[in-house]
Amino acid sequence: MNVSKRLALAWRALFHREETERDLDDEIRLHLELETERLMRDGVPPEEARRRARVVFGGIEAVKEAHRDGRGVRWLQDAMADAWFALRTYRRNPILTATAIITLMLGIGANTAIFSAVNAVILRPLPFPNPDRLVMISEDNPEKEWRRQVAAPANYLDWKERVTAFQDVAAYTPGGGSTLDAGGHPMRVRVRAVTGNYFSVLQVYPKLGRVFTNAETWSTAPPTMVISDQLWRDAFGGDSGVIGRTVSMDGSRVQIVGVMPARFSFAADSVDVWQPMGWDPQNRSQVFFRRAHWLRVIARLKPGLTPEAADAELQTVVRRLQSEYPETNRVMGADLVPLHEFLIGNVRPALLLLQAAVTLLLLIACANVANLLLVQAAGREREASLRLTLGADRWRLVRQALTESLVLATLGGAAGLLLGWWGTRALAALQPAQMLPVTSVSMDWRVMAGLLVLTTATGLLFGLAPAMWNAHRVPAEVLKEGGRGGTGRKLGRWGDGLVVGEVAVALMLTVGAGLLLQSFWKLSRVNPGIDTRGVLVAGIRLSSAYDSSARQLAFFDAVRERVRALPGVEDAALAVVPPFGGVAFTSDFHIAGRPANEYGSEVGRDFVSPEYFRTLHIPLRAGRFFTAPDRDGALPVTIINDALARKFFRGEDPIGQRLTFDRILDSNSVWRTIVGVVGDVRQQGLAIEPLIEAYEPAAQNPNVYMTLLARSQGDAIAIAPAIRRVVSDLDPTLALAQVGPLERLQARSVASQRFIMYLLLVFAVTGFVLAVVGVYGVMAQLGRRRTQEMGIRMALGARTSQVQWLVVRHGLRLVTVGLVLGLVGASGATRAMRDLLYDVTPGDPVTFLTVPVLIALTALAASWLPAAKVSRADPAGALRAE
Amino acid sequence: MATPSSDVLRGTLDLLVLKTLTLEPMHGWGIAQRIEQFSRGVLDVNQGSLYPALQRLELKGWITSEWRSTEHNRRAKYYRLTPQGRRAVGTETENWRRYVSAVDWILETVR
Repeated sequence: MNVSKRLALAWRALFHREETERDLDDEIRLHLELETERLMRDGVPPEEARRRARVVFGGIEAVKEAHRDGRGVRWLQDAMADAWFALRTYRRNPILTATAIITLMLGIGANTAIFSAVNAVILRPLPFPNPDRLVMISEDNPEKEWRRQVAAPANYLDWKERVTAFQDVAAYTPGGGSTLDAGGHPMRVRVRAVTGNYFSVLQVYPKLGRVFTNAETWSTAPPTMVISDQLWRDAFGGDSGVIGRTVSMDGSRVQIVGVMPARFSFAADSVDVWQPMGWDPQNRSQVFFRRAHWLRVIARLKPGLTPEAADAELQTVVRRLQSEYPETNRVMGADLVPLHEFLIGNVRPALLLLQAAVTLLLLIACANVANLLLVQAAGREREASLRLTLGADRWRLVRQALTESLVLATLGGAAGLLLGWWGTRALAALQPAQMLPVTSVSMDWRVMAGLLVLTTATGLLFGLAPAMWNAHRVPAEVLKEGGRGGTGRKLGRWGDGLVVGEVAVALMLTVGAGLLLQSFWKLSRVNPGIDTRGVLVAGIRLSSAYDSSARQLAFFDAVRERVRALPGVEDAALAVVPPFGGVAFTSDFHIAGRPANEYGSEVGRDFVSPEYFRTLHIPLRAGRFFTAPDRDGALPVTIINDALARKFFRGEDPIGQRLTFDRILDSNSVWRTIVGVVGDVRQQGLAIEPLIEAYEPAAQNPNVYMTLLARSQGDAIAIAPAIRRVVSDLDPTLALAQVGPLERLQARSVASQRFIMYLLLVFAVTGFVLAVVGVYGVMAQLGRRRTQEMGIRMALGARTSQVQWLVVRHGLRLVTVGLVLGLVGASGATRAMRDLLYDVTPGDPVTFLTVPVLIALTALAASWLPAAKVSRADPAGALRAE
Repeated sequence: MATPSSDVLRGTLDLLVLKTLTLEPMHGWGIAQRIEQFSRGVLDVNQGSLYPALQRLELKGWITSEWRSTEHNRRAKYYRLTPQGRRAVGTETENWRRYVSAVDWILETVR
């Protein structure tokens, strides 16, 4: 077998078909001429010679056919002919074609967009060499309900030294902000402190200069930093002479040693500056180094080792640490997961839910198109029957039907590609900040391959019904029944199946969306415990020039007083972490007079100025707010929230009692007197229950970073410029961080939920509308087929309502079956949504009652419309029909 | 299909075509004439079936074709053996002989 020869011939046969045919004609003609001449030379008269030559040659057409078959591209030529025929047919039915293409476009486009996200997040490997050898190690503490929490540095160091399965282990801080001054105006940058081996564990290299050395994990002088490509362009104009330059970070001199390449990003973290940890070597033996937890830890496994093997070894080390350091590690566990799993764990359920939703949407679209094609096939019934009777190959008819549907699928797929391309861009642009832990959501070869598979599968799926129908047709019966009757019933059965399926799938989709809608509605009615309207938030980090508590306090007091004096500002206050900003830190605590082994843990702490509660309208439940005299040197005081009071002072008056934020009491323990109880605040986000919290006066705990909260009488953002001016008047080297309305922080805390809900809602509404259109289409077809029957019934005296009921009853039966199937499917499928719901159970009775009723009513209306049309028909006309 | 479809006949025809072309490149009618002469009319070849056979051999890469002028200045498609085809004549002839003698042996013994 000669492959290249075969391909060349096939190519010629396909694309130079006329030439191939002409050559064959020429060859045969010459043969006949030569044969005729030979016979004439033997004395045969010309006419007779021509006849004999033909006889000896045999059937010319048969030879040609054999030759055509021999070219090996017969099926392809047939397919192309069928495709052209299909295109011509579709052009003659522009409305049907447009409907089908738009339907497919919606289904395929939605799938393409969502699959792009699934691909970018779940399928695409992380952008590091050998990413499957990277694992994330976190700490678990069942007693404190810690799950995958940040780790203590001393524990990190022990893992790094003792677990032999790790090639190397790096650690980083989740992130912070600093003010960078490179000689122009100060700007805020996002900073991440890393161990010296951070980049080498990830196996990424700088594009300029160097990254850190292992020695830089520990104290070094002078301080160094590596900057991102983005910052290099924005702040240094892409100057390659930047290496070795010294800039000011929060007032300290730091030398730039390296620039990372543009594509380097760790889970879309958008870090501008990396600085080495620079720990004091003496810290290693300090208790706080094992008690305080603030590190994320990444390890690279030695080649050939599985995460399971590494985890087994890690757990042995963890158990040894538990017995070696019972004071801090008694119940401290470690959790090892592949890095990819760690990064996508949160978003995966949502993405899979959306993928499931668009798959259902596509199924509905397929059902609609299948019905359109069935109706069209029914219209061509006689043509097909005639061809069968005349000896056409049955398989050939099936193939033609499938080719036609594939042509339609391709058109729909092309339209879907456009919609998907747009949808992918919209998705990437509209997703809430860092919902998807990747730098880009784009259509790559995997998405294109997926699109191709999807389009083909779609074409086969909706082409199946018309094709099968062709295959099972019995021509004699069709001709006998005059194109109605038997096959009509068969067609009806396909239609019935489509209605049942569409109703079931639409129900599942709508129930899913309903549950999300309801949980988001509940979420938006949650009381955050504060009044966010008109409050502006701005972070201020002092530089190293503010080297005493007195200086820090003085600056923040000045800012607060000047902001309060601004026109349009009602009130202003300071806190380390604003509401919805998370918890600054948590600690254990003791209440005076209780047994020494009885302590509370995980109390959230924040340091606030006296006006904080008043500014945010946090209600006072008992006692008093902080006042100006609650300063350094005065009685240490604290204000607790309702949750803490309820949990630890049941039936007691907390006011006047004392507590300390230590677990092991000693003479240094600071006892704080509770002076007030305030309402709970959803500090960690709208969807997270308030935790037990204690506030302390900022004046008794000075900090270099504070958040200013200013309540304006109007629009919060309108006072931002004035506040910027206040700060730069006081100190022009400072830049404000994260300036924005508090309402935005509130919205951001549930932005992912809202985004997913909107998407699902869009898909559900689209699916719902398509399903209704589909049900209407099938019922209208049913009505048309039964027009004659209706005519007879009405001629015999049936009332209009009775005739209508016949059609509606049929629809009702189908819808009921669909609803039951859909309810079964939905009750199973929604269980997988549990993690995405807020205050709504997956089997929520309200949703499971409302949605079926809504669908039933709409579907019945869709089947009543054709029924009404049929019954309005003139009986005599109906009888004459066909 | 009106051509002889049994594999025996088809194989025979292919072999005859190949054998004919070992002499010189020829066009279809020429090949048909030669086969008629060789077989002395014993093999009643349906002349048209020659063309699918030529197509088959060409696909196998045993012969190639080109358009040339005949001695009477007519455009004709000439077929020529490829080196591969020349080798094939040997093995195909061998196969044919073995086949014929097997049939012969059966006819001789099962009398």
